[in-house]
Amino acid sequence: MRISAHGLGGAKDLPIPSELAIAGAVAALVISFTVLAIAWREPRYDVATSGRPAPMWLDRLVSSRALAVTARVLGMAFFLYVAAAAVLGKDSAVNPFLGTFYVLLWVGLVPASLLLGPFFKAVSPARTISMLFARVSGVPEGEGLRAYPERLGYWPAALGLFTFVWLELVYPNATDVGPVRLWCAAYLGIMLIGSAVWGTTFLARADPFEVYSSLVAKLSIWGRRDGRLVLRSPLANLDTFVARPGLVAVVGVLFGSTAFDSFRESTPWLKLVQSMSGSRVLPDTLALIGFSAGVAIVLTIATMATGVTSGTPRRALPDLFAHSVVPIIVGYIVAHYLTYFVEYGQRTLLDLSDPFTRGDDYLGTADLQINYWLSNHPTFLAVTKVVAVALGHVVGVVAAHDRAIRLLPRRHQLTGQLPLLVAMVGFTVGGLYLLFAA
Amino acid sequence: MRLSAVAVPLVLVLAASLTACGGSDDADPPASSQGATADGDDVAITVTREGDAFTPNGERVELAVDQTLVLTIDADEAGELHVHSTPEQEIEYDAGTSEHELTIDRPGVVEVESHEPDIVLLQLEVR
Repeated sequence: MRISAHGLGGAKDLPIPSELAIAGAVAALVISFTVLAIAWREPRYDVATSGRPAPMWLDRLVSSRALAVTARVLGMAFFLYVAAAAVLGKDSAVNPFLGTFYVLLWVGLVPASLLLGPFFKAVSPARTISMLFARVSGVPEGEGLRAYPERLGYWPAALGLFTFVWLELVYPNATDVGPVRLWCAAYLGIMLIGSAVWGTTFLARADPFEVYSSLVAKLSIWGRRDGRLVLRSPLANLDTFVARPGLVAVVGVLFGSTAFDSFRESTPWLKLVQSMSGSRVLPDTLALIGFSAGVAIVLTIATMATGVTSGTPRRALPDLFAHSVVPIIVGYIVAHYLTYFVEYGQRTLLDLSDPFTRGDDYLGTADLQINYWLSNHPTFLAVTKVVAVALGHVVGVVAAHDRAIRLLPRRHQLTGQLPLLVAMVGFTVGGLYLLFAA
Repeated sequence: MRLSAVAVPLVLVLAASLTACGGSDDADPPASSQGATADGDDVAITVTREGDAFTPNGERVELAVDQTLVLTIDADEAGELHVHSTPEQEIEYDAGTSEHELTIDRPGVVEVESHEPDIVLLQLEVR
């Protein structure tokens, strides 16, 4: 059977009703200006003091070597299992490698990181293999041949994320096993070479999945202060994310690509690209770049349009504020991928039981029935989506507000926040519009 | 705490929107509604193929759950349409004019696509 040329999964969600989209947009506006008007005037979040220490037993458990090793062993075992399906399994949509890659890994790392903290870092096969290499060759753990250049920051991760979303959303054979396997092999190769040269710092800055997961993990309650495990509110936790060059690009790719995913299926765009001669790869690529760069540029301009103090150069502002867009991204990703994750995720669990498509049932999940409750309740689904988007917007606006009163000179605090606030309302309303129109 | 003051307008607006669409909740088709075809007539669409050129081109069509879509395919060569419902359905057609029936049993947007060349002909909005 020939596989769908437009990504995994069958039916897509219905558009959200117009009244819900409008309600969400109004909520975004109201929330934004309420925060501006009534929220605190002194910064509340401080890395050095925020969070309450977790109970001693929990700290000991979470920090234990046994848990770390268990996570690595499980991560590696799962990686090898799926790699076997990727290499030996059939080239078809029921090969669980595809579902694991696009759904369980790419979408699943968001809820996993929200609940558990930096989840991918703990199970990452690239990190495990590079740690084993280091141990075998006697290199001190985490060290490379040279220091990772600070100027590079998160730029390699932004590039890696872009190649991923291009593969998923633009490349016509995205659901053939061969090209996806090639992408994974290249990814793994680059991660291993990079970590040999620059140590595990490279993985923390350049591994697209690790950066994405660690960014989302800042919206969890788990944090660390002076080595101790602490529990923080997601807002206080988000504030502890260390800004580095390239963070704006990471945020731009994550948000822009999700918006593009809605856009590419909208009727006007579909009609346009299909009426052009030639394949849709070029127009889709340009649109994906346009969406990603658009988000990054809007964010850059909106954060720089303020008065500054001598302590913070203007060009540092975009990266220092980029974290506040993360909650908006997470809200929008929940809205965009919830059904896909729940329903195609179940499909993948079934397929995983039979990795070589020969009728095996290794995990005992092959005969489970997929639950389509979510698809069958479109109103509930639409409301959940709008609530997720609105919630993301609140957290984002509050995070930006706290950062603004910390960084901006007092007389620019109110006016300095306005451009970013307008940009955030634009992102949220734009996202809602795409959920409504596409 | 000030944060709770932020939450108030959010809750109000969302509550308003929830009650606003409370009415449409009734229109939510039940999971195994067989009644949709009883009150609505079939929806008829004609698909034409001349070589690699297809009409319609990505048209949106509203359809009820379990309502029958009658596809009249007028083609100058044989081929196959893929219906990206969950699970997928396929429609094989011969050269000449043929009629095919299609139903979707779950709400969502379902694309009807030709392969080789890959062209989305219809997007069915199934409610």
